[in-house]
Amino acid sequence: MNVDLQINNSASPAAKFVSWSPAPCRIRITDPSGASSPTVNLQISGISSTSGGAVVFRSGATGSFSNSLTIAVPIDGTSVPFFAAGRFGRPSVSNGDVKIEARLGTKLVGSAHLMVRIRKNANTLTAAERDRFVSAFAQLNNQGLGRFADFRSMHTNVSSPQAHGAPGFLPWHRAYLLDLERELQAIDPSVALPYWRFDRPAPNIFNRDFFGVSDSLGTVQFSATNPLQFWKTDGVQGINRRPFFATSVAPPGLRTETQTLALGTQYAAFRTMEGNPHGTAHTSFGGSISSIGTAAKDPLFFLLHCNVDRLWAKWQKRNARFDAAIGASFDNSGGNPIGHNLPDTMWPWNGITGGQRPPTAPGGTLAPSPCVGAPGLQPRVRDMLDYQGAIGAGSRLGFDYDDVQI
Amino acid sequence: MRGNEAASLQSESEFGAFVDRLAADPSRCAHLTELLREDHAVYRERGAAEIVRMRGWVLLAIARAGVSEASLIFLLEELDAGVDPYLVAAAARALRSYPRPTDALAPFVMRALNNIRYRDLPVSFEVYGDYARSTDGTSAVRELLATLVWLGPLARAVIPELLVLRAQAARSRKLHEDIDRTVQAIHGADEAPGPGTHSCCEMTPSAPTEETSWPIGQRRSMKPVETVMLEDQEGELIPFKDFFNEQPTIVVFFYTRCDNPMKCSLTVTKLARVQHLLDAQGFADRINTAAITYDPAFDRPARLRVYGQDRGVRMDARHRMLRTPDDHAALCNHFQLGVNFVESLVNRHRIELFILDAAGSIAVCFERLHWNEHEVVRRAIQLLREPRCSADPHSQSASTCSSSTIPGRANSPVSPVRRSR
Amino acid sequence: MARKRKAARKSTGARKATKKKGSVKATARRAASIAANSKRTVRARVAAAAEAPLALCESDKDLQAMLNVLRDRSEPVKVRLAALQSIQAASFSTVAFESCRGDYIAALRSIADDPDPELRQRVLGLLAREKDGYAQKKLLDGLKDPAKALVPPEKALQLLSYDVHGQAYSAAREIVRRPPSEIARREALRLLAADATAAPLFEKLLRDKKEQRDIRQIAASALQALDPDKMQKHAREILLDKADYADIKATSLTALAQFGDEEMIGKDKALMRSVDRLSTGKTPAKYKQSASRFLSKFGQ
Repeated sequence: MNVDLQINNSASPAAKFVSWSPAPCRIRITDPSGASSPTVNLQISGISSTSGGAVVFRSGATGSFSNSLTIAVPIDGTSVPFFAAGRFGRPSVSNGDVKIEARLGTKLVGSAHLMVRIRKNANTLTAAERDRFVSAFAQLNNQGLGRFADFRSMHTNVSSPQAHGAPGFLPWHRAYLLDLERELQAIDPSVALPYWRFDRPAPNIFNRDFFGVSDSLGTVQFSATNPLQFWKTDGVQGINRRPFFATSVAPPGLRTETQTLALGTQYAAFRTMEGNPHGTAHTSFGGSISSIGTAAKDPLFFLLHCNVDRLWAKWQKRNARFDAAIGASFDNSGGNPIGHNLPDTMWPWNGITGGQRPPTAPGGTLAPSPCVGAPGLQPRVRDMLDYQGAIGAGSRLGFDYDDVQI
Repeated sequence: MRGNEAASLQSESEFGAFVDRLAADPSRCAHLTELLREDHAVYRERGAAEIVRMRGWVLLAIARAGVSEASLIFLLEELDAGVDPYLVAAAARALRSYPRPTDALAPFVMRALNNIRYRDLPVSFEVYGDYARSTDGTSAVRELLATLVWLGPLARAVIPELLVLRAQAARSRKLHEDIDRTVQAIHGADEAPGPGTHSCCEMTPSAPTEETSWPIGQRRSMKPVETVMLEDQEGELIPFKDFFNEQPTIVVFFYTRCDNPMKCSLTVTKLARVQHLLDAQGFADRINTAAITYDPAFDRPARLRVYGQDRGVRMDARHRMLRTPDDHAALCNHFQLGVNFVESLVNRHRIELFILDAAGSIAVCFERLHWNEHEVVRRAIQLLREPRCSADPHSQSASTCSSSTIPGRANSPVSPVRRSR
Repeated sequence: MARKRKAARKSTGARKATKKKGSVKATARRAASIAANSKRTVRARVAAAAEAPLALCESDKDLQAMLNVLRDRSEPVKVRLAALQSIQAASFSTVAFESCRGDYIAALRSIADDPDPELRQRVLGLLAREKDGYAQKKLLDGLKDPAKALVPPEKALQLLSYDVHGQAYSAAREIVRRPPSEIARREALRLLAADATAAPLFEKLLRDKKEQRDIRQIAASALQALDPDKMQKHAREILLDKADYADIKATSLTALAQFGDEEMIGKDKALMRSVDRLSTGKTPAKYKQSASRFLSKFGQ
């Protein structure tokens, strides 16, 4: 007997990635030999490598998860749905380091390797995770010729009103990071965007093998094996970044995570974090990252914003703010500029140019994912809130943070 | 114009004084317009910031001397696609010296307002090259609003847009107040602004346009550049005459390091839209398109390809991104490109699009202002339908073709035809 | 009834939002007030400035007070730097900062020649990233005439590199010819990496074994952008050259791994042998790992 297992309801290897949010899966019997009844009970369980990810299961859209699941599967080839999710606290460290097995009794009848792909603290990545991420990022930049040029062009002085100083700040950047992450995953699917937890020391980020060491001038130096040494933006080589703090400690003056999460239970209050810690994190340096028009030239920008997004995610979880219909989840009180209202599509993915929007829309539509359908090619502000699919399973965006549970 | 006189000026202060002399001399103030041409020798080997200072001073001089029809297009160009607050402010101020305003000017002012509002800076017009270090003086937004006030009832059509801008500037009380005053002034004005009193130049009442066209027989043939080698985004080499031949071609100029999003990036993005329109109308195989870089040393094939791809440009045998590996100067001369350089890098350029006919001769030129994709396609299709000349298509002299065979076009003298908007 | 309750909840929610945002605003305003108060301690003012960005976007009075602190040369430098950072953080909120921008840039220009070198450097950096003509002129004047220099030449070059349309190339070439310091030469070369005509210079530097490692690394990166085919050729030759240093070999390997023609590399037996030597020889572990990854990527 043989079975076929689909993760994210897809046979594609590119879809074999899950996060903490339940991913729809299917099992069907492809070869029923040995079956003696119209349905057989198959046991599904997760097998993890030593430090690899772990998965849990449930049969329906609701209910608790367990380490294994017994499913009655017809032998006529009809597929049966179930749900798999990463077990919180056990993310993968490499692609395929966890396996789902299907057994009929003790006999193995099918398996699928997958990855519990999670956004992690950049300071605690393994060397292999770090190197894969850096390599993918350098390829995306491709010494100025890669798709990264579009991401750089999306975040300039011209476009900044689309994304800053108004309620759409957090949703826009969530979409921006997601777009970039999906492009990185098209290069190496094992990569997830890590975050720079800026209210804590992160010496492992600021070294030559990762995001570089700045000299007294602010020129960032990389090791000879680090492909970021070829980083180019706007036709100019290298990265200018001068920390105003010792990188063995956290920058001073930043609101801590606790303080940020305590800003308020209403979005209108929480989004003031745009000033501090977000703005303060940016301006803890001299160099590109400290000015809005040049910030995206520095790849550290994306790790900084990943932490901003993580703080929002944590706040959402703590205060149950995934539902756009609840006033406290967003600041839709009126008078917001275009692109900052819940029903608005967001530039540049909407392709709208001129008038109140910038003259061009670099990058085209938002990158699709083989794992999830949301938020669509031209996301609206409201599509970025329910990133875990807490309100609607179809809203799941396919990412999670290592310390934000569902 | 005493081009040599201007070109010989070494320092900015000499230039500033020269411009002041021109502005003060009614018999010479028309030469100020010549100084706004990007390819003027005075701008060679100057950095972009220096050119901003120089051009801004010329615009302010024109504001004092009076705006002619010839200089109006430069002001509108700055409002249409400018991103430097000093130049936009100077252009807005100069516009108020135009003696025959029409309601066609208000949309330009409004467009500039939308472009510049988040990048506004205080500017100083007191002394050449001055930079404001306080906000006591003026700014691009203030000058633009003042120009709308000056337009008065001619600006009524943009009031809705102004109110949208006001609504979006919720936190900017000052901008709120400025816009309120402007709207009040526009509503309250009974008459359009009158003619100026100190224009030194002849005026014609027609609105400016970005398009120039030449009838068959009066077009610049490709003979001087037919052997210039072009390299496309795949590294394929092709002589000019082999690509720009047998069917009309729409040609734009750009460079990948242009940092004005209203110019090159938008130009190439619009070229992609032109390609879609051609395709939709079934002309993609009958009308070529080309984007040629001003910066061939830096914009090598891989860079051309990526730039085009990122903007949705179709690239194949009939649609190419091109550079001139060797004879770039010949191309610049042939097209009389509005561009200048500091070393190999572009320091200033205008928006320019050409349509070459099936013989590779320059038939239509859109310059300075943003061109309309539909209009460009329409003109290219027109060229496709015009008869081929019986005489040597490479001849620069008047051919035996009759321009009356072109519908709606009367026989015209040697000078090019300017279409009214 | 349910609809009425929902409406009531919404309105309570809206009131709560207003109240909480109001208290956040009030905190920010208090912080701005402390930061601007010369009677408070430096430490208290610096700490308060970090909490002030929200207030600066919302209150012209608070913004002007903070700008006054920034401009006031009699204020302690630490407080002025904190004020600068606070305003800068606020500037990220573009829409909210719209009406403040003019005052901000004007204030920066007014202190570009401040006596404090750190403040000068930060201010010129901020202006340079805005491609501000005033700052560019100051920096270029300083390169031409050291007596007018507001920052060291290497810093001026670094800041001028934010705008390729500046006129810094000739100054950079002069500094490469006659460097006042190694670091200035290095920054001049980094700036020239955007000069399309500089490829021959970088070829020469890349192959010069007497050059410093970081210079050869800049040369490698510059050449990869300006003339990728040449860089790939030189990268290969460096790897084959038994007499060249391990660190430049590692850079060359990275260039080939990231940007090389995979098919050609896979067939290049001589190259593979050289990389194999790198993976087993007396080189740092990191370089060996890089070489091993290269070999497994390209088929061995």
